[in-house]
Amino acid sequence: MSRPGIARWHPPQGQTVRAAHRKCRAWCGARPARRLALAALLAAGTAAAAEAQRAEWTDVVYVPGRWAAGKLVSRKTTDSRTDSLALVMRVDYFSAPPRWRAEIRRTADGQTMGNPDIVIGEGTRAVVVTALGATPLEQHVLGQDPLVRAAMVFDRNGRAPGPAAGRIAERAADGSVGRVVFRRSVKNPSFADALLDPGARSGGRSLLASGISAVGDQRQASVVATAGARGVDNIQTPSGAVPVKPDSMAILRMEHFTVGSVALEEFLRTGGLGPYAPAKSDSGGRQP
Amino acid sequence: MSRVSRCIAVGAAVLAATLPAPARAQSILDRLRQAAAVARTLLPISTDKEIEIGRGIAATIAGRYPLSSDTALTRYVNLVGLTVAGQDPRPDITYHFAVLETPTVNAFAAPGGYVFITRGSLALIRSEAELAGVLAHEVGHVNAKHVINQIRKADFTREVKSAVDIQGAVLDRFVGAGTNALFMGLSRGDELEADSLGLEYAAAAGYDPGGLAAFIGRLSSHAGEGALADFYATHPKPDDRVDRLSAIAQREHLAGGADLESRYRASVRSAQ
Repeated sequence: MSRPGIARWHPPQGQTVRAAHRKCRAWCGARPARRLALAALLAAGTAAAAEAQRAEWTDVVYVPGRWAAGKLVSRKTTDSRTDSLALVMRVDYFSAPPRWRAEIRRTADGQTMGNPDIVIGEGTRAVVVTALGATPLEQHVLGQDPLVRAAMVFDRNGRAPGPAAGRIAERAADGSVGRVVFRRSVKNPSFADALLDPGARSGGRSLLASGISAVGDQRQASVVATAGARGVDNIQTPSGAVPVKPDSMAILRMEHFTVGSVALEEFLRTGGLGPYAPAKSDSGGRQP
Repeated sequence: MSRVSRCIAVGAAVLAATLPAPARAQSILDRLRQAAAVARTLLPISTDKEIEIGRGIAATIAGRYPLSSDTALTRYVNLVGLTVAGQDPRPDITYHFAVLETPTVNAFAAPGGYVFITRGSLALIRSEAELAGVLAHEVGHVNAKHVINQIRKADFTREVKSAVDIQGAVLDRFVGAGTNALFMGLSRGDELEADSLGLEYAAAAGYDPGGLAAFIGRLSSHAGEGALADFYATHPKPDDRVDRLSAIAQREHLAGGADLESRYRASVRSAQ
């Protein structure tokens, strides 16, 4: 009779109970030290494998056409190599299957990128996270946007199809080019697990979120005044002490000098940098 | 070989295959050890305080060498800088880049993301990959908090009980210590670590990873020139750095990438 809660063990087919027990003892180790070593080895292997599944990548999304006076002028083409493209969206993905996070920045005028919309998902289920809470994607206005829907491509295991890097041209039902995506994977993903938690809304961790668009609005003028109040400093240099009058206004100018996110995207694209770098077979980027 | 030994061997092989490469694992261990050593003994400084201190140091740098008012050049340097800074895993830092109007060959990074490069350096640089390498090296200093850690080692910081007390005259002392550390030169270890991080960021951004080494190598042929006096006094020997950078690139299989010499010429040379 088996004990309650413990499944009865059966020998593998074609083996006697005795032979199977002998085999099992050999694999599990007769001594506790061996058993411990094995358990540690397996646990470490599992943790390393889980870590290896984490992925982080960026998709920069274009559609055939161009921006003219703040309006998107679409163009129909079947040429997947077309360079007449208009930037419409950038998505930063963070994935630890089955959970994932997408930070979506769209441009409405071809000049500036908006603040990120954050979508957090588990498998195929996704919620839009806002300051007020989480709303299922299909009930949110974002879910009605075909470009956003096309970007939410995770399967029930939380995995996304497609190559790790390179240019990906997707066709519409009529054969014309729908989206052109430039993808770049991060070699060693380093994001925190909290990013995948719908309860923790972080405003995005990429350059475009924290860097360019926010310049100048997060600093207090009083801080600058403090630094400027020091008057003349004597600084030590290899050639002796040098009197210097700190220039706080120069730092304010430096902080207010902005480079638009769309301009940076264009800079990367024309230079073949970032997501636009030619894909290498041994780039080390992980499959999303 | 017993079955248990075979099992352990298979397990070890699986583990070896799933763990990061040994070289990378070693580098991670080294960094963790360094971070732990610093954290054990020194005053913790929040990112906000780091930025406050960095802003004061940046103001002193801008007081010594005036900021360039060339908007096109500043924009270009910002674009290159932001491209490499995008690879820096610190999301709490907003980077700002500026050009200093001096023929001196040097570059500076104040804590909190204030990065400067001199006209003298731009005149010696030959390609965008080289500029990216230099700026990425500076981003590496910010990322690894080299100046902040240098300040925290100063005797006067022992009197400061918490980061909240870093204001007014105390903040001035932190700024002064940081400025002196920057102008007198950081440690050889800090410089080499910034080289390594810079190489990593520039390559990850898609630039030719040889850019920084090419620039440093060129400095050797200008040794003895007045414009390079401070640079030589505050940095490890160029040849050592070039050898080390080459070894890292080889070990990490970093090759290829964009050089963008003509874009650099068009953006910078025309401004000179």
